[in-house]
Order: sequence, then C-alpha cells, then structure tokens
Amino acid sequence: MAAPSIPPYICSSPPAAQPHIPSPMPERDPIVPIVSAAAPEHDSNVLAAAGNHRLSVFADLREIAHDMLHFRELLIQITLRDIRIRYKQALMGIGWAVLTPLVVVLSGWVLRLAFARMSGEMVADQVLAEIAVKSLGWAFFVGALSFGTASITANLPLITKVYFPREILPLAAVLTQVVDVSIATIALGIALPFFGVGISAGLLWSPLLALLLVVLTTAATLLLSCLNVFFRDAKHLVQILLSFGIFFTPVFYAADAFGPGTARFVMLNPLAPVLEGMRLAVVVGHNLLVPLVIPSTGAVAWSPLYLAYSAIVGVGGLVASAVIFHRAEFVFAEYV
Amino acid sequence: MSIGHVEFAGVWKKFRYGEVHNRLRDFIPALAARATGLSRSAVRPPQDGLPEGEFWALRNVSFEVSAGEALGIIGPNGAGKSTVLKLLTRIFRPTFGKCGIRGRVGALIDVSAGFHPDLTGRENIFLQGAIMGMPKREIVSKFDEIVDFSGIPWFIDTPIKRYSSGMQARLGFAIAAHLDPDVLIIDEALAVGDAAFQRKAIDRVTELVRRDIPVVVVSHQLDTISSLCTQAIFLCRGRVDHAGTPGDCIAAYLRGIADADAPVVGEAAARINSLVQLGDVPVRSGEALLLELRGVVREEGWPATESIALRVRSALTGEVLFETSTLRLGVALPESGPFAVEAELQINVPPGMYTLESFVWDRMMERESFSGPRISVEVQGGKDFIGTVQMNPRMRLTADAPAARES
Repeated sequence: MAAPSIPPYICSSPPAAQPHIPSPMPERDPIVPIVSAAAPEHDSNVLAAAGNHRLSVFADLREIAHDMLHFRELLIQITLRDIRIRYKQALMGIGWAVLTPLVVVLSGWVLRLAFARMSGEMVADQVLAEIAVKSLGWAFFVGALSFGTASITANLPLITKVYFPREILPLAAVLTQVVDVSIATIALGIALPFFGVGISAGLLWSPLLALLLVVLTTAATLLLSCLNVFFRDAKHLVQILLSFGIFFTPVFYAADAFGPGTARFVMLNPLAPVLEGMRLAVVVGHNLLVPLVIPSTGAVAWSPLYLAYSAIVGVGGLVASAVIFHRAEFVFAEYV
Repeated sequence: MSIGHVEFAGVWKKFRYGEVHNRLRDFIPALAARATGLSRSAVRPPQDGLPEGEFWALRNVSFEVSAGEALGIIGPNGAGKSTVLKLLTRIFRPTFGKCGIRGRVGALIDVSAGFHPDLTGRENIFLQGAIMGMPKREIVSKFDEIVDFSGIPWFIDTPIKRYSSGMQARLGFAIAAHLDPDVLIIDEALAVGDAAFQRKAIDRVTELVRRDIPVVVVSHQLDTISSLCTQAIFLCRGRVDHAGTPGDCIAAYLRGIADADAPVVGEAAARINSLVQLGDVPVRSGEALLLELRGVVREEGWPATESIALRVRSALTGEVLFETSTLRLGVALPESGPFAVEAELQINVPPGMYTLESFVWDRMMERESFSGPRISVEVQGGKDFIGTVQMNPRMRLTADAPAARES
C-alpha cells in the first residue's frame, strides 16, 4: 500500500520543530517516577526512549525480575486461566495431561519393538522405562513451545488494551505445562516399579535436570513467542521443529545408538544431555558426575561435560532470549 | 492527599503507514533488497522530515494533571487521543519525550478486555482484577461489592459466554470501578448497560472524579467533558491545538468543525458571503444576539420562494433549536446585487456553545439551495441557571405578607 500524502493542517497552531535529542522516558516501574525539573534524575530509574538502548543486560534482567515479582499474581491468574480453559468442557478433563505424554511413550515403544523384531533382539523392560522417562520430558518441551509460541498473538485484545509485562504470557504457557507434566509424572512414578525401576540415589538428580529442562524450554518459548509477533510464519517453523525434532533428539534411542564416538554429536542438541541424564539417573541409577563408557563398544555414553554444556546453553539462552524479549516487548502492541 | 500525578512532556510518537513485514518470507527479500541498496524507501525522498511510510501520530504534546484536576481530551477521529491514552497506560512508548504516571492507574478503557468466555463470572473477576493490577487480597475483600454493583449475583458461577453483552460490560465496569486508583483514566466507558446501570456508572465515575485524584477523560460527548473536567486540551492531527478551560477547547473544536464545512454553492438565486456576530461577545443568556448577514443576489432575480435563513443548533448535541428566515419575517430582499441583513435573536437558551448556520431556503423545492457560513456563538449566564430555557424571570414583592392577610 502506498503511503497517503499528508494533507495540509487545518489546525491553527504553527508546526512545531522536529525534535533534536531524544530525551529519556521514565522507567517501566509500576509506580513510574516522574522526573520533574526540581527533582534530580536517578539514572537507574530512567530508561532510554525507543530504539536507543544504553542499558546493560544486568539492568534489563533486574527489571524483568522486578516486573515478575510485582506482577506475580497476574502470572498466577493467567496460568490458572490457561489450565481452567483447557480442562473445561473437555471430554477427558484432567486426563489430557496424561494422554499426550502417553501417546509419545506408546509411539516410542512401537518403534523400538518393531526395530527389535527386525534385528531379532529382545527389548528389556528397562528400555521401555527409559523411553517413558525421556518421552515425558519431550512432551513437556513440545507442549510448552506450541502453546507458548502463540501466547502473545492469541492474547491480542489484552496486548493492545492493557499494560503488563508481556513475559507473563509465554511464562504462563510454560507454567501450565509444568502443572500438566507434574500430573503425568505422578502417573509415571506409579508405573515405573512395574518395569523394575526402583528408588535409587540417581533420583536426586531429577530436580536439577527438571529445572534445566524448564530453563531450556523457557528460553526457546520466549524467543519464539517474540519472533511470532513480528513474523506470523514463525509458528510454521515451530510446527516443523515440534513434528520432526523428536528424530534429532535422543528420545526413542540412546545417545550412543549410532556407534562409538557419535554420542558427542547427538549431545550437541542441548535437550539431549537433559533427557539422557534423566534416563541414566532415574532408570539406570548412574551417578551423572562420572562418565559412562559402554564396556562392549567403548562408546562414551555420558560425560558430565555434556550436562555442563547443556546448562551453559540453557542459562545463556535464557538470558539472551529474556533480554531480546524485554527489549522488543514495548513495540508488541504496535505490531500484533 | 493523593500521590497521583500525570505528566506528558514534549511527547512525539511515530507510526507507519501500510503493512510491515509480517512474514519471514517477506522479510528476508526485503532485508536483501536493503542490503543491496535496492530498497524503494531509500530512493524516494523523505516526506515531512520522516522516511516514506512513517508519520507523527503525536507532535510535541505536553500536559500535566495534578490531584484534584480533571483533564478532558477532545478532537476529531485520528487526532491522537487514543495514542495519548495508550502512552499513558504504557501500552506504547513515546518516540521522543517522556510521559509518566505516578500512582496506581485505574483505566476505564475497554473494561472487559481480559475476560475469557469459558470462565465463570467469579473466575473472571479474579482474572480481570489481576490484569487491572488489583492484589488478590483486595479482590477477595471487594468481591461482594463488585458482584453487587454489577447487579447479576445469580449469574456469578455461569461462564460469561452465556452472559448478554450488556451483562459482560456491567461486570467489567463493576471491577474497574472498584479499583481505588491514584489516577483515573476514562475513555468513553460510561455508556455501559441499560439506562439504570448507566446512571449508576456515571454516579460512580463522578464520585471517583471528585476524590481529589488526577483524572484524564477522552470523550466525543462534549457535555461529559464540560461537566466532568476542570481543564481540557483540543488535539488536532497530533498537535495540541488549544489548551485551557473545557469551554474554550470545546469552542475551538467546534469552530474547527464549522471551518471545515466550507460553504456549498448550490443552484440558489443568492449567496451568503459572511455571517458575523455584532454587539456583546459573548452574549448573555436572555439578551439579544445581534447578527449581520451579507451576500449577493445574482442577476437572474429573486424568486418569491427563496429566502435567507438562519438556524441555531446546540453545539453539544447538534439539536436544532430554532430556525427563521426573511420570508417568514416578511423581509424583502433586493432584486439583484449585494445585500446586508441584520438579525436579532432573543437568545433564551442556557449558557453554552451554539452553532449558527446561514443558508438559502427554497420553500418550493423544500431544500437548502445554498449553505452559507456557520459561526460558533458562546452564551454566558449566571451560575444559578437551572433548566433548558431562559425565561428572563423577574420577581418583586407587591405587599408585605401580614398586610395581605388583613385585607
């Protein structure tokens, strides 16, 4: 569309001069301090005008933390809303929380059993348990990302009419999945003993691994939800990622499945060490601080460095995507 | 004493025309074009100091509202009123300048924006309350009051998709009205629900406005502005065209409308070139409004069915209050050439703004054959004017009461 030419003004006031220097605008603090001529300016309370960021990453992060703390009740309410609307007027109600991971688990089992039949192997119960544990993690990632990516655009009326930190929407999508996956975890906990998996010291690793999974998922969700505001076809990209990502992530297979020395390439996917870690810690009962070498093949199936790599990608990614999101969010209302 | 304060200092806001790159598919070629210098916008000269496709929605807008003040913002569509509100509520950020609000903001703007149709009234009160910034404790303590105000207690556990649109709006307004804000922002939210609820809503808003907090009101209902506000700004094409009392700004706004409606030349035998107010300006209610009309009768001669006419409208409502014409008053106009007509109207109307329109009326065709100039007239009056018609009352004591009883 061609830009219409600007008609002459009929207003009586003379045209004002173009502005020279962009002056700072007040911070996004809920109680916005007004900088009057008399009051001295506090640099920490002043945010540069649009398109002129002079703030450090730390200031951004502090602001995000402050916002999240101040708006925590809204975060809870939006999460509650998302949980409620998912289970209202739904045939299966809360069963959905278990069904989605269950389908992933069953597909994994079908694949594994089919391959085993071709190669004439037996599939141990432990392998089925391993697939179940990793599938749960994958189902969480998929669920959070698919709801989270659309979270900003799906809440269009809210974005254009009410101010609140936009981070709340993708975070609520992740939190909703946390609630879902917790229900599924309880179901899995009941099922695992039937596959011969007992309580081991390795279980102590699971909170840390779960946290890392949430960090990685949040990083991806923040980035993609932000991207989806500016480019509506970002959600197609996500769809591809979610449909085929499982083939590039060791969910149905182990990281060393391609032979000795290939694990390190599989582990380049930052989700891989988390899922493999879960398998080894929860099902195998392996101490994740110790590298695991398969004696028969000599393959390095696990190294603590994998976990360190994943943690660095997770934390670094979360910081980067949170800062990108935070700096972009004030134009969301103009773009969506 | 309220801590609320509103400041808008030299705010500029830029927007774009047309579509932005909404798909990666479009963005990547555009990026490539820009990188290779083939971009169209790089070739075309900038307009109005801005690159093609961008425009200033607000230009150097400044105002300040302190506790106890109520600022009305008026202006035609596209003047930038909504942009001002979105900047105030932090949905937009200014391109240049600064704006800010101190204190908790209560915004009566789209009061049901956060509602989800599948949630019940009760769940939506908590959701919408959180969106508006109410802590949960506060919502719990005000819950009964909100439900009571909305007037729909028996529907509170029904999903609001089963509500009528009026019921939804009432619930939304009820939540917003219980915000207890430090700063109040109102955008045409007063017309909610049925007549009874509207009255309740206006009473509530009036009560909030009286609370000694800063208030910003955007409305096309000029009588709302003049009754609620202590000051006003008239925005036009992103600039503050006029700032001052609500009366002044409304007058400036209406004058702008009158100017924009340029006289239409019809098939009439005469044309009116000027309409001016004589005598006291502004005129006092109940006194004589003096006007002079000047025009030209064209050479074809003056048919008996056409006449020079005047119409008085209320500027606030647009209602026609009075009409008269030379024919009706038996005033003969010259056969041809220029003429001047003096008119006197007993302006028995309440104080306020009125629009006077001059036109040529064709009685035979029953149409306005020529629309002449229009002017805005301000009528002043005493504070004790109650009602809709000035009756020029006079009272005097004819005899003292005891004497009257004796006789």
